[in-house]
Amino acid sequence: MEVDPRSRTHRRTIVQMVVVGLVASAIGIAWGLYIDWFPVQASTQAKKIDGLWDLMIILAVPVFVLVVTVVLFAVKEFRMRPGEELLDGPNIHGSTKLEIVWTTIPALILFTLVGYAAVVLHDIEKAPANAADELKVDVFGEQFAWTFRYKGADGKPINTTRLRLPEGRSVKFTVRSKDVIHDFWIPAMRMKVDAVPGIPSSYRITPTRLGTYPVVCAELCGLGHSVMRSTVYVMPPAKFQAWMKQASAPPKAAAGGGGGQAAIDAKTLFTDGNGESTACGSCHQLADAGTPSGGIGPDLDKVLSGMSVAMVKESIVNPGAEITKGFPANVMPANFGQTLKPAEIDALAEYLVKSTKK
Amino acid sequence: MPAAVRQPGWTRASAFVVLGIAFSYALSIGLRALFGYDPLLDGEAVLQIALIAVPFFFFVGIGLFDYWGYYMSGKATRPEDHSGHGAKSWKSYFYPNTDHKVIGVQYTVLSFFFLLVGGLFAMLIRAELAQPGRQFIDANTYNGVFSVHASILIFLFVIPVFAGMANYVLPLMIGAPDMAFPRLNALSFWLLPIAGVMMLGSFFAPGGSFASGWTAYAPLSTSAPIGQVFFTIGVQFAGASSIATALNFLVTIITMRAPGMSFFRMPLLVWANFSTSLLVVIATPFIAASQFFVLLDRALGFNFFDNGQGGDVLMYQHVFWFYSHPAVYIMMLPGFGIISEILAVKSRKPIFGYRMMAFSLLAIVALGFTVWAHHMFVSGMQPWIRVPMMITTAIIAVPTGIKIFSWLATLWRGVLHLDTPMLFAMGFLTMFTLGGISGVVLAMIPITIHVSDTYFIVAHIHYVLFGGSLFTIFAGVYYWFPKMTGRMYSERLGKLHFWMTFIFFNATFAPMHLIGLDGMPRRVADYADKYAGWNLAISLASFALGLSTMIFLYNMVSSWRGGPRAVGNPWRALTLEWQVSSPPPVFNFDEIPTVVGGPYEYGVPGARHGVFASSEPPAVTAGSSGPTGPTPTAHE
Amino acid sequence: MEAAAIPAPHTHDPDDHHHGPPEANRSSRVDPQMLGMLLFIISEIMIFGAFFTAYFFVRVVTEGNQWFPFNGDELPKLVAGVNTAILLSSSLTLHWAQTCAKNGNRFGLKAGMLTTFFLGFTFLFIQVNEYIHIGFAPHDHAQGSIFYGLTGLHGAHVFIGLTLLAVVTVRAFRGHFTPEHHDGVEIPGIYWHFVDVMWIVVYTTIYIL
Ligand code: HEA
Ligand code: HEA
Ligand code: HEC
Ligand code: CUA
Ligand SMILES: [Cu+2]
Repeated sequence: MEVDPRSRTHRRTIVQMVVVGLVASAIGIAWGLYIDWFPVQASTQAKKIDGLWDLMIILAVPVFVLVVTVVLFAVKEFRMRPGEELLDGPNIHGSTKLEIVWTTIPALILFTLVGYAAVVLHDIEKAPANAADELKVDVFGEQFAWTFRYKGADGKPINTTRLRLPEGRSVKFTVRSKDVIHDFWIPAMRMKVDAVPGIPSSYRITPTRLGTYPVVCAELCGLGHSVMRSTVYVMPPAKFQAWMKQASAPPKAAAGGGGGQAAIDAKTLFTDGNGESTACGSCHQLADAGTPSGGIGPDLDKVLSGMSVAMVKESIVNPGAEITKGFPANVMPANFGQTLKPAEIDALAEYLVKSTKK
Repeated sequence: MPAAVRQPGWTRASAFVVLGIAFSYALSIGLRALFGYDPLLDGEAVLQIALIAVPFFFFVGIGLFDYWGYYMSGKATRPEDHSGHGAKSWKSYFYPNTDHKVIGVQYTVLSFFFLLVGGLFAMLIRAELAQPGRQFIDANTYNGVFSVHASILIFLFVIPVFAGMANYVLPLMIGAPDMAFPRLNALSFWLLPIAGVMMLGSFFAPGGSFASGWTAYAPLSTSAPIGQVFFTIGVQFAGASSIATALNFLVTIITMRAPGMSFFRMPLLVWANFSTSLLVVIATPFIAASQFFVLLDRALGFNFFDNGQGGDVLMYQHVFWFYSHPAVYIMMLPGFGIISEILAVKSRKPIFGYRMMAFSLLAIVALGFTVWAHHMFVSGMQPWIRVPMMITTAIIAVPTGIKIFSWLATLWRGVLHLDTPMLFAMGFLTMFTLGGISGVVLAMIPITIHVSDTYFIVAHIHYVLFGGSLFTIFAGVYYWFPKMTGRMYSERLGKLHFWMTFIFFNATFAPMHLIGLDGMPRRVADYADKYAGWNLAISLASFALGLSTMIFLYNMVSSWRGGPRAVGNPWRALTLEWQVSSPPPVFNFDEIPTVVGGPYEYGVPGARHGVFASSEPPAVTAGSSGPTGPTPTAHE
Repeated sequence: MEAAAIPAPHTHDPDDHHHGPPEANRSSRVDPQMLGMLLFIISEIMIFGAFFTAYFFVRVVTEGNQWFPFNGDELPKLVAGVNTAILLSSSLTLHWAQTCAKNGNRFGLKAGMLTTFFLGFTFLFIQVNEYIHIGFAPHDHAQGSIFYGLTGLHGAHVFIGLTLLAVVTVRAFRGHFTPEHHDGVEIPGIYWHFVDVMWIVVYTTIYIL
């Protein structure tokens, strides 16, 4: 075979290519590590997962750069030039040596990644040293709201739609669903798990940063999936304890039935529900109750002004009858007629009208 | 009876459809009477029966079962007069035909129609997502739109278009006059429009179309409005079509290769379809079953997924992904085959490491069955399953890497003809690598815990399905366009199409990685305001991406109608499909060729893959062209 | 799909060769129709596999689930056992019919096919009767869903098998099949044997274990 005139550049090309590849990889890695990919780091888990991501960048960028560089250099060096229309490349069938190389090196890279990932996985799921001190929270997903249950001071459950967590203490969530599959995700903490009907699932986090962070439903659950959001409040431990104490103390009307005919606390009904009903506050903003803007349902401070008690009652019991403009139908549960007692509905409606009157 | 109703064809088909609807009413009312249900007439029951039964009436009407009918009733089957073979005019494409080339074109054209429809739905998705809040469609419609988008593009575009292209070229490539079971082949095709009509028709169902994603997780799907059933049953038809075609390919490849074509002389496209078909035959029954479960739960009150009654919700996901992970390789391996063909021909060099290319396909097939639960890392399944699945998932990157690197080595020192098919092939090499790498990222459980069900997944999906599968499909369509139509396409428009697609594809899908990592969930009609900027950019880029498809469409249509005539072997390729005229004769070959060497012996002067005994010497010379090319210059 | 395996008898017309396709090369000793049927059976095994996955989840994975008998619901092992025997004997008669086809014994072929069809039909009849008298419905509990799901899936396959048998029987009575050409008996026969073997698996897992 005559020496292919095109192969004269061969050695120099390879050197050039290696240099370009190394430089591009270095830039790529530096850039990849520099970019702020994630939401704020608000848990110990987040830190470890972000670390794994960094390793991923370091190992994956060169692989991609390699492929791109070879393609570009092949184009540069070996593209058909005028007069070469009928030329063929050399009849090379393969090289066992090269094949071994490009089987083992990726295998090693993957081995490293998988190994490190397994370590990280173990770390982020391991129980804290003093397991007894771990806070346990039950999470319930339903179309389309989250509710949370703590164990109060006296062992009585505290139901709420507001997820409050103490900073620096490990929390274990046990996640359940009342209807279809949802997914309990706190992006700032990096952890999520599906809420599966009939099968409790769980994860733990240790919050490391004060503040409020979004809670997001990350599994398609129907109409209101995109608005099934909530908020987590990470507070100093002392403040958290204070809240716990206050919340476990009476007066808690109708927490699970019974409890006589104590005056109905409409505000608690609004923020936390009666144990059976979904809390209004998980979807509606109301300044008086202090519920945040969830964006799911209308801001009641705005839309209720001027409405009569009867109209509000109708809206609660029969939400589909008239749909507030700009909001989805069939998202607000239609079962408040059953889950709330008539007296409770009355109280709620009165409370709403009173508190939104200006 | 007028003759038109007795002859197979559209008139008879329409009559049978009416008959089928009547039958559905009768059966539904009869059964409800038998079981004592009240009221006797239930629209949903009729509809569900009709969705299953009417297609069969249609098939009988259009004449797909005539031959089998004669056979089964023991009548003398008419001697094969080949009247159902070959296209006489464009009208022939609207009737059942047993010629694999006609079926291949039917398949390909219909699939591209579904690409446009699915793409149009994507435009609707992007229009809705251009800004936070509600733009055009409500949440329910939105969920329906992306579900139909994905279902159509997966089940009615990528999977069948590969089957269609292979249908056209595979028998030619192995020197067979047709597929092993031509009538079954025709049936496979006609199952597709049925599935398509169902999926699109679901929008007219009360309660809207199916809106639980292409994954249709129970119990969302088992409690959904009737539109869900259009998916459940439509998928059965698409799946049956896949299985029938795969079976046909396997039998054709095993029993009908030309003399001399040993397994290791088969072109890699044939290997790729062989592997894919194995996946289809083994895996597809699982999605059929998963949808049977949903149907039984939804329609008849079975309790497969009702945990209150002892059912298990996660079982759905296991069964579904046991199909649908292999399905992603069903959507990729044929593309690997196309790329191998194109890179060898367009680099004028043999495929580097042919045997490893074949073995890595088989390795992917085998490994593909061991990784399904990587889609379930956050599903709440037994935690111990995760790490083994992470390991197997990572291992799959090794055979895939072997393929990528072998392709790179094939390019090296070749003579690269940078025309449209080659550009798409190279685009595929880089973009699929990126998609594959994001796949490896997803395999790392701690990262998946964060990014699962976010736009990072959407980015991965489109990098592998668009940058991977669709790029290979474009490459293949350009590459075989001359063979299939007998015309040349416009190279200028082809290149423009490539660059538009390549740029706007990246502009559309690359930012999705960012917003996904930053916390934007997928499958949402509305999102937090902080993602508004990127989403607007993505939407604008996606519209440009949509327009680029118009260039492709224009190129194909105008070239088919009036492009310059193509010679038999415009690419000077060695594989057998190029050794016949363009388009090939009705029966492919006047005489079956004999295979005398490997399929990619470029660089060896005078090398041949196949020879025709009678027309010796054929102009099948390496480095030279088909009948019309100039003689090779001395090149030792 | 199953029709794939019905061999298309090539009515070889010696003087019709001028404008037909060239004869395809046979690159394998396996008969295409036979191979098609075997691959189809692989698919069928997988669909049963998926239903067995459901069975596995309900019976093993889900905690707290009991298998029959529970809640007063019981499976008629004995009746089903007799039914099993009926189905198995149909495999024997089918084999007999196939042997006769090979030896050119037309009477044996016809009688064998008729008996097989009749036995298969009896199986299906008893199965439906079992459904009527079993005392629980698929919507009562997941176990019931699995029971009806698996036996129903199998029943559907018996039905397909019976259709194939009917085709063979009709053709046998119309004088088809010769000792040289009896693929039309062999290949549907494989399917029927598969249906039988599958029943043994279903019977063992559902009723016995
Ligand atoms: C064509 C389709 C296709 C293909 C080929 C792939 C290929 C791969 N996919 Fe992907 N995947 C999808 C389509 C596809 N996927 C879809 C549609 C979904 C979403 C489903 C849904 O929920 O709707 C999904 C989801 C998905 C998930 C689930 C995420 C989640 O929902 O939480 C995971 C997790 O592991 C995953 C992983 C992988 C891996 C490891 C590969 C590998 O096969 C990739 C291997 C290739 C390479 C790695 C590149 C080349 C290799 C080299 C250059 C060698 C060197 C490389 C390294 C050392 C890294 N994919
Ligand atoms: C082969 C598969 C395939 C292909 C080709 C595409 C193509 C595209 N996809 Fe799709 N997609 C999926 C498979 C695919 N997708 C899957 C599996 C999902 C997951 C669904 C789920 O969660 O269940 C998904 C989900 C998905 C989402 C996420 C939805 C969500 O989670 O809420 C988005 C959002 O942007 C999207 C966008 C696009 C876009 C812009 C294109 C574009 O590339 C389309 C471009 C092509 C055209 C547009 C052609 C037609 C053009 C015309 C008809 C001209 C008219 C247009 C103009 C005038 C502008 N896709
Ligand atoms: C899962 C979310 C959700 C929950 C929980 C919920 N709502 Fe709503 N609500 C909505 C949505 C969405 C709308 C707007 C659509 C409509 O009118 O139905 C709405 C509308 C309303 C309206 C009508 C506003 C108007 O403009 O007329 C009132 C009043 C109301 N809700 C009160 C309540 C009360 C009281 C509760 C608790 C007992 C409650 N909601 C619980 C989502 C919710
Ligand atoms: Cu709940 Cu999505
Ligand atoms: Cu997968």
